[in-house]
Amino acid sequence: MSGLESLYPFLYPGSVDAGSGERVLAEVTTSTREKVAEIEAVRSRVAAEHAEGIARCARDVAASFAAGGRLVAFGNGGSSTDAQAVAACFTAPGAPGPALPAVALTADVAVLTALSNDVSFEVVFARPIAATGRPGDVAVALSTSGGSRNVLAGLAAARRVGMTTVGLAGGDGGAMAEPGTVDHLFVMPSSSVHRIQEAQTTVYQVLAELVRGALRAREH
Amino acid sequence: MGEVTASSVRAAFDRRRAATASLADDAGAVALTCRAMARRFHAGGRLLTFGSGAAAADAAHLAVEFVHPVLVGKRALPALSLVNDPATLTAVLAAEGPDEVFAAPLRCLAVPGDIALGLSPDGNGADVERGLAVARARGLLTVALAGGDGGRLAGSADVDHLVVARSPDPAVVREIHVTVYHVLWELVHVFLDDPDSLGEGAA
Repeated sequence: MSGLESLYPFLYPGSVDAGSGERVLAEVTTSTREKVAEIEAVRSRVAAEHAEGIARCARDVAASFAAGGRLVAFGNGGSSTDAQAVAACFTAPGAPGPALPAVALTADVAVLTALSNDVSFEVVFARPIAATGRPGDVAVALSTSGGSRNVLAGLAAARRVGMTTVGLAGGDGGAMAEPGTVDHLFVMPSSSVHRIQEAQTTVYQVLAELVRGALRAREH
Repeated sequence: MGEVTASSVRAAFDRRRAATASLADDAGAVALTCRAMARRFHAGGRLLTFGSGAAAADAAHLAVEFVHPVLVGKRALPALSLVNDPATLTAVLAAEGPDEVFAAPLRCLAVPGDIALGLSPDGNGADVERGLAVARARGLLTVALAGGDGGRLAGSADVDHLVVARSPDPAVVREIHVTVYHVLWELVHVFLDDPDSLGEGAA
């Protein structure tokens, strides 16, 4: 028995008396490998289709920060946590390049619940953007479907203010892909919410890396 | 700022390839982690998640995956992120210091049948390490997602299951962690849907 085989006997169907436990372990292992292959394929397509657009977006976002702009990020559910990660990518100390002003609208539970309770869930991003957004700021919207109404309302509010808008979506892009909705649109070519989120994570982390890198170069 | 070009974007994406591919080599370890977590859920345990910086966002993401499944028909499983309450976090920070931010709430909330899952991009987050130690001492199943060479978590007796994203770049590590916890969520259900597959023991 090889080292790997003794560690994971369920990977070697002939080597064990395969009951339900071993069979399911083997299935789950295979399924894990398939999902890894899926995300690799989605990322490759995103790189091929969006390299030019991501570079253009990074130049625009860097120019906004250079002119004193700030960034706000928003989304629902898992995408709300991505919005927080987007903000952290720009603000975190330790990464190469300057720390930049970015906030996640989803981190403020008081504002979210006040607007949901008093007005409607649809305005939870639009209202804070209308209240605090300035021309030249950046709005980053995340929606795996591209159809979340509160996210679309947030983008519309950002455009009214004169902000640069960035949209991350998946599938067919939904309403976010309609003309005039967003300045920089990146649609992840997958029907899986999970693979879409994983590819979106790469897009916004690469974007942050390039923006901070560009502004570091500018400082010198 | 004309220095950002499509080729710099492509180079950044290329830097992800090797670490992503190496996750396939760890598929067996991911499967065993799923089974151990499924055993705990099957016995009524809850999942408690934690991490700092961008990994705090991942801890919250992981919890919502279990509580509100994106796939229709999957049952909700009990999960709670320890990073969502700034009142608690800042109270612990002020009273006990940064290394205790997860250990302290775990001492209040965790019961022996639960699962503790900590994310540390370099495997050396002292806050995550302390949280896992407190959890292990209470009898929780401990799961760690790390990166790089696994850091101190790689050799830790407090970690029952470790998955390492093999990249020195914390951003790349995060992206692999997102895939890992999506897979953990989805495939825990494969075991729960077939209780015979859970086997003996409580992990």
